[in-house]
Amino acid sequence: MKKLLLATVLLISGIGLSQTKYETGMQKAFDLWQAEKPWEAANLFERITQAEPEKWLPPYYVAQINVINGFGEKDKAKLTAQQEKAQDFINQAKTNSKENAEILVLEAQWYTVWIAFDGQQYGMKYSGKVQQLYQEALQLAPNNPRVILSKAEWDIGSATYFNQSVEPYCKDIQRAIDLFATFKPEDKFYPTYGEGRAKEIFESNCK
Amino acid sequence: MKLQKNSTYNLIFVLIFLLISISAVSQTEISGIVTQKNGTPIPGANVYLEGTYDGTTTDDKGRFSFTTSEINEQTLIISFVSFEPFKMTKNVGELKNLKIRLREDVSSLDTVVISAGTFEAGDNSKVSVLKPLDVVTTASALGDFVGALQTLPGTTTVSEDGRLFVRGGDANETQIFIDDIRVFTPYTPSTNNIPTRGRYSPFLFDGITFSTGGYSAEYGQALSSVLLLNTIDFPDQEKTEIAIMSVGGGLGNTQIWGNNSLSVNASYINLAPYNELFPGRNDWQKPFETFAGESVYRHEFEDGLLKIYGAYDATEFQLTQEDINEPIGVNFKLNNQNFYTNASYSGRLKNKWKLETGASFTLSKTDINVIEDKINDTEKSAHLKFKLRKNFSNRFKMSYGVEQFLTDFKEDFNNETFDATYGFNNNISAAFTEADIIFSKKFAIKLGLRGEYSQLFDAFTFSPRASLAYKVSKNSQLSLAYGDFYQQPFNEYLKFQQDLEAQKAQHYILNYQYTANNRIFRAELYRKEYGNLVTYNSDFPSFDTDFKTNGNGFAQGIDFFWRDNESLKNMDYWVSYSYLDTEREYKNYPIAATPNFANTHNLSVVGKYWIEDWKSQIGFSYQYGSGRTYTNPNENGFLQNKTKDYNSISLNWAYLLSQQQILYFSVNNVLGFTNVNGYQYANTPNVNGDFARRTLRPATDQFFFVGFFWTISDDGEDNQLDNL
Repeated sequence: MKKLLLATVLLISGIGLSQTKYETGMQKAFDLWQAEKPWEAANLFERITQAEPEKWLPPYYVAQINVINGFGEKDKAKLTAQQEKAQDFINQAKTNSKENAEILVLEAQWYTVWIAFDGQQYGMKYSGKVQQLYQEALQLAPNNPRVILSKAEWDIGSATYFNQSVEPYCKDIQRAIDLFATFKPEDKFYPTYGEGRAKEIFESNCK
Repeated sequence: MKLQKNSTYNLIFVLIFLLISISAVSQTEISGIVTQKNGTPIPGANVYLEGTYDGTTTDDKGRFSFTTSEINEQTLIISFVSFEPFKMTKNVGELKNLKIRLREDVSSLDTVVISAGTFEAGDNSKVSVLKPLDVVTTASALGDFVGALQTLPGTTTVSEDGRLFVRGGDANETQIFIDDIRVFTPYTPSTNNIPTRGRYSPFLFDGITFSTGGYSAEYGQALSSVLLLNTIDFPDQEKTEIAIMSVGGGLGNTQIWGNNSLSVNASYINLAPYNELFPGRNDWQKPFETFAGESVYRHEFEDGLLKIYGAYDATEFQLTQEDINEPIGVNFKLNNQNFYTNASYSGRLKNKWKLETGASFTLSKTDINVIEDKINDTEKSAHLKFKLRKNFSNRFKMSYGVEQFLTDFKEDFNNETFDATYGFNNNISAAFTEADIIFSKKFAIKLGLRGEYSQLFDAFTFSPRASLAYKVSKNSQLSLAYGDFYQQPFNEYLKFQQDLEAQKAQHYILNYQYTANNRIFRAELYRKEYGNLVTYNSDFPSFDTDFKTNGNGFAQGIDFFWRDNESLKNMDYWVSYSYLDTEREYKNYPIAATPNFANTHNLSVVGKYWIEDWKSQIGFSYQYGSGRTYTNPNENGFLQNKTKDYNSISLNWAYLLSQQQILYFSVNNVLGFTNVNGYQYANTPNVNGDFARRTLRPATDQFFFVGFFWTISDDGEDNQLDNL
């Protein structure tokens, strides 16, 4: 009885301890990111990735920081290195969480970085891929506001380019805004971005 | 009761003990500095103990310091983009005041690449000069990948032939490979003065490497050049593609399920309506008609990729061409059926070994009628290949391979007075090995050796190959390449006589390349020496001809290439110039002379301009080739005269009607330059003792093309612009 109790306590305290470590680590990484130290945050997410090889959120955020900073990067050698890093971590996140719409959206953004870098070279090559990833994400999570928003943002871009009406996509943006209001993340540290962006897009394209 | 109390007490004790033990865990400090080889600090590097949360990021001076509760031996890892990760396993107590120098990662983008002789079309390649799109948006190419490559330096303008002639080499000296497996009959057969096209649709390829010399030991049986085509690994999405063209139509469909995908393409070309509208110089009884079907099946395994490619095409035409010796002209009829299949597998094995293996089979039947002669030939060829590659490190890679080529060629010849069947079996076994050594970001070498055994000649050949590259500044590099190359005499001779020897070429190449900011400049100086070329003494090769392999020759020159996608907004252009000096003594040449497929100066200018407001891409291309040699029997000498220079300007316009519909127009030789390919002289002189001649003009001076391309996909976004 005594041994059992001891074992249980040890076990619980052990779990509690590692939970805490993960949570403190993740929280610290978000704080760094908030403090505009994205690369330090990325480094910390990377350390958490290798300490917690089963989780998908740490590699997801390593990739996301690299992707976000890829927009606007002009140096091809630097961009290629960042994109390669992002790709590795997207793959790891995918291994740890299959059929995850959030990761598919990130992957679509990964291709969009290349299109933004050189539209002439990558536009035709990757736009089909981006579209297909958004389709897939939408099938997996039809009510995820981030999926709806990202897809609609992409569609508005294409429609504007071909001088077509953006109206059908405004409905999607509105729907995303409504869903953001009630959206509850599945877990702590789960992606939550997008509400502000959705309102911004609605303001500038749909009024 | 006592027991319970006791256990509560115990529990409290345990908890206290645990708390104490946690806070009492000793903290060890880990610290140091991270720099590059030359001492420059590296800020932002990730420093941590493997498998733990303990770590930090280096500061502006490359310094780091953190504490850990880990004890005993631990592995410290330091990683930073574009450097090789550093690992050190030591007792935590010893990980203090470390001075760590990271080695640069040689797999990163700014590492030197061996570029001598090679042009790549691909967007991930470091030496890419063409983009996959260019193959089909080059104005003069008309959707033929060979046509687009003819705008690169090192090629010569032989407009009536359509094949690739590289650096003074015959068209047969270029070999084509699909997924590294050889294609035996890459071109649709044609006849005099009618250019041929590549058989395979550019739709299916996403990587093209064109080497004009000094290529890897992996590729054999090519004296001058290799063209490597890679099929798309995995298609993006399911779609149906429809093409309606002034010369025919096409239909394509792609399906994806699980780890599998299948693409099927069919096309039908008939030049009858076109010839009605714009009659050319030939009198067609049966205008050119061809049907082609292709399919690619791909299956992704956990650690590998299998591709099976199959293509069938049937071509038929009949025409009468003018001939100075035949007042009624020469009637020529051709019927060709060609089947090609190619299966390849590439996969990762344990310990960084990689396996690449594949096989191809070709069955080609051609029936030709020339006036009264009937010639039927059948070629069955196969290629089997097995290659292993090992990455010992980022800096040292080895590959080993064996392969077998099998060719069974038969020909029937008959006319009213003569009947014969002849042919040959040409089997070649080969082995090759190659080492890639990257000493630093600045210096790399590649060494290869290839051995071949020809069963037909019972002879071995050994070909050493070597190349090296040195980076002279941030954006420019020098490369050197040397190699020996062997190739069996071509089918047109082997079918009559088999006791010959392999032809030989040696390449020496010096290359300079500058790349920066969407601009690329290349200059390449080369010398090529030929030996064992086929010679004979009759007017043309035949049964009773005595063939020898004692011909020789040389080619030397310099090639320039400039591409700029930066200086002018929405404008992308490239310029190629080649200077070629070549002579050879082969076939039935009485003396060494410049063959008629080689011209001294070649220039190509290709431009593409995107007009945003019109949703249109306008393409332009100018081809210039200086005159080519011909023999004028009215004067002394051999190949002593030259034709006038060749000029052609082509324009195209691709207009996006919507995301999925494209209208395409193109005109070749828009200014209608009068080009002369050569002259045909009468066999016998006229009453004045002069040999009369006929000018060989292209079959048509200009060519017009209109097409409508429509893509139907689930998402309604994809289009065929990249197929144009």
